[in-house]
Amino acid sequence: MGRVFVEQFKEFLGKIAGFLPNLLTSLVLFVAGLLIAWLIKSVIVRLAAFLKMDAVSERTGIVQVLQKGGIKEPVSRLAGRLIYWVVLISFIIMGLDALQMPAVENLLGTFLLYLPNVIVACAIIVSGYLLGNFLGRAVLIGAVNAGLPIAGLLGKFVKFTVFIMAVTMSLELLGIGKDTVIIGFAILFGGVVLALSIAFGLGGKDAAKDYIDRMLREKKEEDDIKHI
Amino acid sequence: MSVILREEVIQRLGEIGEADILVGIPSFNNADSIGHVVRAVQAGVAKYFPDKKAILINSDGGSGDGTREVVERVIIDDFQPLLINQRQDLLSKIVTPYHGIAGKGSAFRTVFQIAKELNVKACAVVDSDLRSITPEWIELLIRPVLERNFDFVAPYYLRHKYDGTITNSIVYPVTRALYGKRIRQPIGGDFGFSGKLAEFYLTRDVWDTDVARFGIDIWMTTTAVANNFKVCQSFLGAKIHSPKEPSSDLSAMLMQVVSALFNLMEEYPGQWKEVKSTSPVPLFGFQFSVGLEPVKVNIERMINMFKLGMTELGDLWKVILSTESLSGLQETAKTEPFSFGDDLWARVIYDYALAWHGKVMKGEHMLKTLTPLYLGKVASLVIEMADTTAGKVEERIEALCIAFEKLKPYLIDKWE
Ligand SMILES: Nc1nc2c(ncn2[C@@H]2O[C@H](COP(=O)(O)OP(=O)(O)OP(=O)(O)O)[C@@H](O)[C@H]2O)c(=O)[nH]1
Ligand SMILES: [Mg+2]
Repeated sequence: MGRVFVEQFKEFLGKIAGFLPNLLTSLVLFVAGLLIAWLIKSVIVRLAAFLKMDAVSERTGIVQVLQKGGIKEPVSRLAGRLIYWVVLISFIIMGLDALQMPAVENLLGTFLLYLPNVIVACAIIVSGYLLGNFLGRAVLIGAVNAGLPIAGLLGKFVKFTVFIMAVTMSLELLGIGKDTVIIGFAILFGGVVLALSIAFGLGGKDAAKDYIDRMLREKKEEDDIKHI
Repeated sequence: MSVILREEVIQRLGEIGEADILVGIPSFNNADSIGHVVRAVQAGVAKYFPDKKAILINSDGGSGDGTREVVERVIIDDFQPLLINQRQDLLSKIVTPYHGIAGKGSAFRTVFQIAKELNVKACAVVDSDLRSITPEWIELLIRPVLERNFDFVAPYYLRHKYDGTITNSIVYPVTRALYGKRIRQPIGGDFGFSGKLAEFYLTRDVWDTDVARFGIDIWMTTTAVANNFKVCQSFLGAKIHSPKEPSSDLSAMLMQVVSALFNLMEEYPGQWKEVKSTSPVPLFGFQFSVGLEPVKVNIERMINMFKLGMTELGDLWKVILSTESLSGLQETAKTEPFSFGDDLWARVIYDYALAWHGKVMKGEHMLKTLTPLYLGKVASLVIEMADTTAGKVEERIEALCIAFEKLKPYLIDKWE
């Protein structure tokens, strides 16, 4: 019995001994990753300063786009940070791979397969948000200048529709219940339309009546000021 | 020689050699009105400059309605009814399509280029849709350059008090306050200028920008003033031109004019910051008054547009306007009868200029949010001027200009 125990213990020790180098490699990779990521980041930040990247992105309007999206950091810092994390995560993945544990490897495999989709999905959502804001604003201003009393509502409607479409697309990309998403979207969209109709019906009834009255009256009273 | 002129034009210019006077007419599908303009030019040259060598340039944007053929064909063959003694040689005409992006600016560039090649002393440009142009216009635009050494002649028109509201409420007050010269119609469209100024215009690198498309009028005026060319005005009487197609919508028009104005501010901050006072500009010509057709206005609609802007555009205005302007607008919305003060209006326009300078928003969006505010100001002016005469109207515009001049330190202070 003692022998069995010793055998098993030996085997365990052997496994650990076999595993230790892997663990060490993985740790080294992690530390190296930290260092290299930090190094690359500072090079990038310095390079950006040299190329006057912040001023350029200010002029080209990238900063404004980001600010509208709620991001207030300078572009150089943002780029530095992004690259830092990409490098670090790559090293962490290499490190985990170096452990050579089947369970971890499987997990990693699925994750890596999934990762591009996750990134693309995020990009779609972010662009959908920015695009929705932009188009919503254009519609709002155009509607105000056309004298439509429902301008605000129209603007919001466009903004949310674009955003919801982006979310739907990215969820579909991730394969999260393909049909469910579409049905969910349909329900949500229908809900928005219904809510809008009700809002019109209740709140907008007078406004709509007003507007139609005014339109009819103004057809007759169009002014002919020459503005230029 | 230049790259922007066509081969056959260059050849014609070689044959002509030199000229004293050049009149340019930009056109794009103006077959029904350009004949009158060409005749007025021809009579004007024959009557007022019989001993000068003159040339007419039609710079066309590819008209499909026979505009160029009309220009080629039209001549006055009997000067007797006009009491003009026939000249020896007829006016030479060159009809040419222009080079570059579509627009009045590109058309003018070709005119400037030909003026340079022919080494002309004085030029005039007149729109091809003018119904009220007379031979006197040519004299009034050319003679100040030829005989009084002026480099730039701006038009001075008689207009109905409700016409030219963008000019009256924005372009005139701003250009005047910024550059110090009281040019009443900076975007009139018909100008006289010296050969020297034409050459100077050509050296500017703007022919791939909006200047070539639509901002040429204000650009010519501002370029002349900001670079210290000698400027004057000529009284031309009423300006009546073919009605614009109804598709041109106000907010787009306002955006074009105001963006041209603001882009020039970016170009000349060194000049306009130094200008501390304004001075009158000589006005030539015999002044008279005419009965102008009444203009219908719908004040209620304009005020409603302003109020709609107040309820819907607040979030965007917060990004563009100063807090003083915002609270001023809130007060304005409550006034009864409706009244939009001059000081507030000047501040609003300067805030937009600063926002344009700081690029706080996509330019097109930003300037299109100005429409309801502009309509508010126009409504207020129309209410005030309802029963006033033309003379009183000028006093009213003068007061508005003073408001812009007084507030100019605010603009300079915030500009960085
Ligand atoms: N060659 C050329 N000429 C143009 C173009 N657009 C306008 N023009 C000419 O420019 C002149 C003024 O154009 P309009 O359309 O009358 O402009 P407007 O808004 O009436 O301008 P104002 O008369 O100054 O109030 C006319 O002679 C047009 O034929 C273009 O694209 N190409
Ligand atoms: Mg016109």
